[in-house]
Amino acid sequence: MKSNLAKWKLVLFLIIVESTIGFAQHKVSGIVTATSNGESLIGATIEEKGTTNGTITDIDGTYKITVSNPNAILVVKYIGYNDREVAVNNKNQLDISLDGSAVLIEQIVVVGYGVQKKSDLTGAVSSLKGEELVRIPTANVEQALQGKIAGIYVSPASGSPGAGAIIRVRGTGTLNNANPLYVIDGMITEDASSVNPQDVESIEVLKDASSAAIYGSRGANGVILITTKTGKKRDVAQLTFSSYYGQQQTVRKIDLLTGAQFAKAYNQLRNQNYYKNPDSLGVGTDWQEEILRTAPMSNFQFGANGGNETVTYNFSANYFNQDGIIKNTSYDRGTFRLNLDMKLKPWFTLGNNVSYSVIKEQLGPNVITSAYRIPSVLPVYNSDGIFTDPTFFGLALGNPLVDQFYKSNRYKNGSNLLGNMFGEISILKNLKFRSNFGYNFSDSKTRGFEPKFEASPSQLNKNDRLSIETGSTKNWIWEQTLNFLKEWKDHSLGLLFGYTAEERKSEFFGASRENFPGTADELLYLSSGNDTTQMNYGGASDEALNSILFRANYVFKDKYLFTTSMRVDKSSRFTPENRTGYFPSASIGWNLGREEFIKGINTFDRLKLRMSYGILGNQAVSNRYPTSSLINSGQYAVFGYSENLNQGATLLSISNPNLKWEVSRQIDFGLEAGFLNNRLEIEADYYRRHTYDIIAAVPIPDYVGSQNSPFVNTAEVLNSGVDIGLNWRQAGKFSYNIGASISPVTNEVLALATGKNEIFDAFVNGEPASRTLVGLPIGAYYGFQVAGVFQSVEEIASSAIAGGEVPGDLKYADINEDGKIDGKDRTYLGSPIPTMTYGFNLGAGYQGFDASIDFFGVSGNKVYNEKESLRFAVYNWESHVANAWTVENPSTSEPRVTNGGHNYRVSDRFVQDGSFFRLRSVSLGYSFPKALISKIKMEGFRIFVSGTNLWTRQSFTGYSPEFPNGNSPFKVGFDTGEYPIAKSFQFGIETKF
Amino acid sequence: MKKIILLVLGITIISCSDDFLDRKPKGNLTSDTFFENEDHAIWATNAIYSNFRSWEYCGLPYIGATDVISDDADKGSTQNDGPFLAEIDDFFFDATNQTFSSIWKGHYGTISRANLAIEKIPGIKMSETLKARLVGEAKFLRAFNYFRLVQWFGDLPLITSQLTENQYFTQERKPKNEIYALIEKDLLDAISVLPEKSKYKSEDLGRATKGAAKGILAKLYMVQGKFGPALSLCEEIINSGEYSLLTNYGQIFTREGENGSESMFEIGAVALQSSVVGSGATPYNMVQGVRGVPNLGWGFNRPSDDLIANYEAGDPRRQATIIYVGEVLPDGLTIVQNNPEILNARFNQKAWVPSHAGLQDNGPGNIRLLRYADVLLLAAEAANEVSNSAKALTYVNLVRKRARGTNTFILKDLTITNQQDLRFAIRKERRSELAMEQLRWFDLQRWNNQAEVMKKVGKQFIVNKHELFPLPQSEIDLSGGFLKQNKGY
Repeated sequence: MKSNLAKWKLVLFLIIVESTIGFAQHKVSGIVTATSNGESLIGATIEEKGTTNGTITDIDGTYKITVSNPNAILVVKYIGYNDREVAVNNKNQLDISLDGSAVLIEQIVVVGYGVQKKSDLTGAVSSLKGEELVRIPTANVEQALQGKIAGIYVSPASGSPGAGAIIRVRGTGTLNNANPLYVIDGMITEDASSVNPQDVESIEVLKDASSAAIYGSRGANGVILITTKTGKKRDVAQLTFSSYYGQQQTVRKIDLLTGAQFAKAYNQLRNQNYYKNPDSLGVGTDWQEEILRTAPMSNFQFGANGGNETVTYNFSANYFNQDGIIKNTSYDRGTFRLNLDMKLKPWFTLGNNVSYSVIKEQLGPNVITSAYRIPSVLPVYNSDGIFTDPTFFGLALGNPLVDQFYKSNRYKNGSNLLGNMFGEISILKNLKFRSNFGYNFSDSKTRGFEPKFEASPSQLNKNDRLSIETGSTKNWIWEQTLNFLKEWKDHSLGLLFGYTAEERKSEFFGASRENFPGTADELLYLSSGNDTTQMNYGGASDEALNSILFRANYVFKDKYLFTTSMRVDKSSRFTPENRTGYFPSASIGWNLGREEFIKGINTFDRLKLRMSYGILGNQAVSNRYPTSSLINSGQYAVFGYSENLNQGATLLSISNPNLKWEVSRQIDFGLEAGFLNNRLEIEADYYRRHTYDIIAAVPIPDYVGSQNSPFVNTAEVLNSGVDIGLNWRQAGKFSYNIGASISPVTNEVLALATGKNEIFDAFVNGEPASRTLVGLPIGAYYGFQVAGVFQSVEEIASSAIAGGEVPGDLKYADINEDGKIDGKDRTYLGSPIPTMTYGFNLGAGYQGFDASIDFFGVSGNKVYNEKESLRFAVYNWESHVANAWTVENPSTSEPRVTNGGHNYRVSDRFVQDGSFFRLRSVSLGYSFPKALISKIKMEGFRIFVSGTNLWTRQSFTGYSPEFPNGNSPFKVGFDTGEYPIAKSFQFGIETKF
Repeated sequence: MKKIILLVLGITIISCSDDFLDRKPKGNLTSDTFFENEDHAIWATNAIYSNFRSWEYCGLPYIGATDVISDDADKGSTQNDGPFLAEIDDFFFDATNQTFSSIWKGHYGTISRANLAIEKIPGIKMSETLKARLVGEAKFLRAFNYFRLVQWFGDLPLITSQLTENQYFTQERKPKNEIYALIEKDLLDAISVLPEKSKYKSEDLGRATKGAAKGILAKLYMVQGKFGPALSLCEEIINSGEYSLLTNYGQIFTREGENGSESMFEIGAVALQSSVVGSGATPYNMVQGVRGVPNLGWGFNRPSDDLIANYEAGDPRRQATIIYVGEVLPDGLTIVQNNPEILNARFNQKAWVPSHAGLQDNGPGNIRLLRYADVLLLAAEAANEVSNSAKALTYVNLVRKRARGTNTFILKDLTITNQQDLRFAIRKERRSELAMEQLRWFDLQRWNNQAEVMKKVGKQFIVNKHELFPLPQSEIDLSGGFLKQNKGY
């Protein structure tokens, strides 16, 4: 009934629309391209000369316009290109190419729920094209962003194969999860790890309140929009094939004591000649060498792109393989993607973007810490050929090769379906309705088999065991948006209204059995194990979000820009009283460069000022039910002769039902300018981001009796800084570009929750290594300051001491000058947050050759070498201990050899400079001339060699001063034994047919 | 068309009302849905016992804070292993030593579980008898934990109910007399409602009993110097007929001795056939187990030379307490081999368990916390203090008689009547009988002779400091000034 009625209404509606158009009109459509490279131009304006009738090209560079007569003249404009007038001459299909230097940055950028002309933007949005990403060979786009965009800081989540990255947009604005929001073709996700970099058309980073506020409660940490490639109208399809192969190895090794040095240190530790002749032990075993390897990586990508009036498509198939530089770790992924756009009716478009990945990982044990710890005097194998048992030096020591040998049969197989489908209806000329359904369904299964073995009292497995764990997540979003766009005379007005609903669910299930009849692969299924040893477990979680959004853009005379937006979010994470959050923003921009008085100066090709202000939220606490106190079952009691397990349950995870939205107020002032025919471009932003009611799990005293720390709204933090991006581009026979981005940022805690003036966390050896205090950065290091090494008993007698010091021990500074060393003498030891991140890139091209080089650096931050400070047994020492204080060697900086205790308390002994400067990537390529390759029907053929992370300047003694430490802002920059990052060389080809 | 759109919008908005946003944790009861029936009351009470088996409660830090710190035991294990325990053994520790934060966390964690049960169970509709018993058990367990903490740390934050957010950081230490008062009240409440051991069904053995509550209260009175009340409580236990000494001392700590006639309070443990740490297991056996061949554990808590010297000639309790190299273990099968990495290896036989399912972590041995011989010796001590040497001799000789078994040449009955001499004799007897049962440090504290004894064995004991442990540095730091550290730390 209803659909019939609707059809009639639609017919009626179309008749009315048609009848208002009149008969003399003529329709023209086509594609606008750049003459230089044939790429389509997005956002070019097409006007009918002498009228106000006009349009702009869409994301494929196509346009459609209805002109008043078949002989009208079209005026085509695109900034950076010469304007062109073309007569229609009664044609319906009219492709137009523009001359000019291809020096201009993308003119249309993707913003939340739409696209906008760059010149109309009032927010701080950085844009990066897909081809800039693929220079770094990595499994996903996150790591490839490092050093590319001013104001965003990227560090590898781990050096392990396939790892993603930790991204901070404009510093750490929260005490809580500070990860930005990822939006992949409209699907909101928590990371972008499943996106193949070669499928990416562009990445936009929404940095300020104006641009991110449309994502409301989740926009506070910035938003990263990833748009995948779509099909383009072509006469014949374009096929691409590319591949590379590379070798990776660790960026460096940690300098540890050799066998001889360890033996001497051990003798000093025990004050006896346990090793009679230390020098005879030579270099000993290089355990890092034993567990690491040179590992290959490879990538194959096939793509097809094309389409006609009705359907455009982009298809790709990809295989990526990366072996880890730690033995027995690897990552393999196959991905298919199909993006389709179907213009089924003049008023109706249907489309989908879908990618499906299959992933297989070998999860060998992380033996970095045990390789770091095991003394170099020990051989890998004993003389009888069995693995060395290192437990003479303590049970908290294992032979890393034992783990690699017995615990590497562990594989994770996963699949990931990610995409969206949408329908778009043009209701009126200026009004579009779009319904978009985004989904991300993933499944994984981890199978691990550990055989029976006994290598030492601490490395053994008494029963062989197969364990299997499966996990699945089902996330979806359904968005309904209405878009109104009208341009008249000097005015342009855009309105967006939307409603979205979103649900995320995940579930896991695991089971195991022991005592298998053999170890052959075909026997390793649960049923063949002993059923009396079976165990299983499972659980699930979910959440939902419901939002209304609104945005208005208004542009007057292409010069005066206004944007305002509002999002109302309701989250299942909070109680109904605190569920709703309102997140408004407003911004203005002024295209100063289009004013006559600026044009008159004849200096600027482009000049824009903008300012934005808005309120954003954050709800990304790691717990989906932070207001529910959980009762933990499985707290069994054993009673009676029969020793039965009696069910027990109690409250172990306390919560805070009053938890509410974390809110951040952000203000941004921006400047964009282009000079010298737009060859020099500058974009600079100053921002202040004031976050309050910050949600954080603040450690609570153990006497409370909770196993977790509840989330509370606890603090206010101010991040302020400047993002500056500079680009110089020179086109011509010899073309080159120079780019620089630099982002100084300061982070300061403004207030903590009432009654609390400091937050201690990051406990190392029972002492807090971080103290968050008003006036200092979040998670600042805290501990004793080393003032030297005690040289004599007399010096100890006349100094402030903690008690029990002997000559050779560290002398800590008596900060409060009370004559003794105690907890009150601990002080600020530096900040883990960089005060500056910067990047440089250079590129050049000449007669088919292209070269590029990227540098990236951070400065102003410290890191804490936690792995060095923890000693639960006699571990190897870092090489500086070879210079330990002895009576004969009265060092003033290196204490005597000890194993824990006084010299290992939290102090600046373990705080190291975290700044570094890295040659992130370098590449050299050659593209064969078209004339040559067209004979073999090729349109493009490029070969290249490249290198990643080839050179780094750092003073940190570990692998790399970049490590994530999970999501707690109170414990940042602690090296607990991270997977080393790799440097790599690769070579490859890119072809187009 | 517009109507369709509005309809679609309308449907989604309606379908996405508050129901859509009400999400509950999956696979978990929450505090809103707990304490609704009798099962929940039983579970909440069982969960208190459960925490006695945690690492924080009975693992290495606990062994350190009881035996290793005392003159009964050295750190044990290899020279290099467990450096934090070496600090404890040698009195070189400070407030950051993990021993203190662990036992603090373990015991306050248990107290918090008891507080919850005591607060919430009364509101449940269920059998009133069972309700009273469960609350009584919880009070006993709370008292037991506060009693240990107050002996270790002195003044304490006194927490008797679930804290709310504004109370987390504002707890101050209450004088130990207030802690004693709570312990006494909890135990008296428990005594009034708990059944005797014989009234429990056999599958419930191990739950708190009237006798156990009296025993702990007697200990408290001893600490407070109330010897009369202590003696009468001990005699109530003795005369209850609920308990008797096992004939064979060596059997108390074997599998067969679990929940035996001498057992007054013990925490049950079981090793299930699983690879990981099973649900009913403890780390207690592993940390003290024979290290080397046979490989039963980590080999910490080495009985000291000084302890060995305490035994009278021929006292069979020495053999039953200490495992020596070359000894045949109680399973009658395995001989302990010399471990070249451990100088002069010895192990605590009272924590020994035979090879069992799963890993070493899967300790199946019940942890004996109060046994009848302890009460007899307390009775003897109290009787002597109130100048009733006859009674004192009766009780102490009961213990000696059992120890000597059928060998009448050893451990002859004591006959001393001089109060001071008898006092020392009872203390010596107590050490031999209860060695390596994690009681010695508390006894020394009660006798106020820690300094003297520690110095005798060459430890760097500082008077007016080391009598009490430091509060964990992490707690001091978190409290932002509300918690004050003990003297000297």
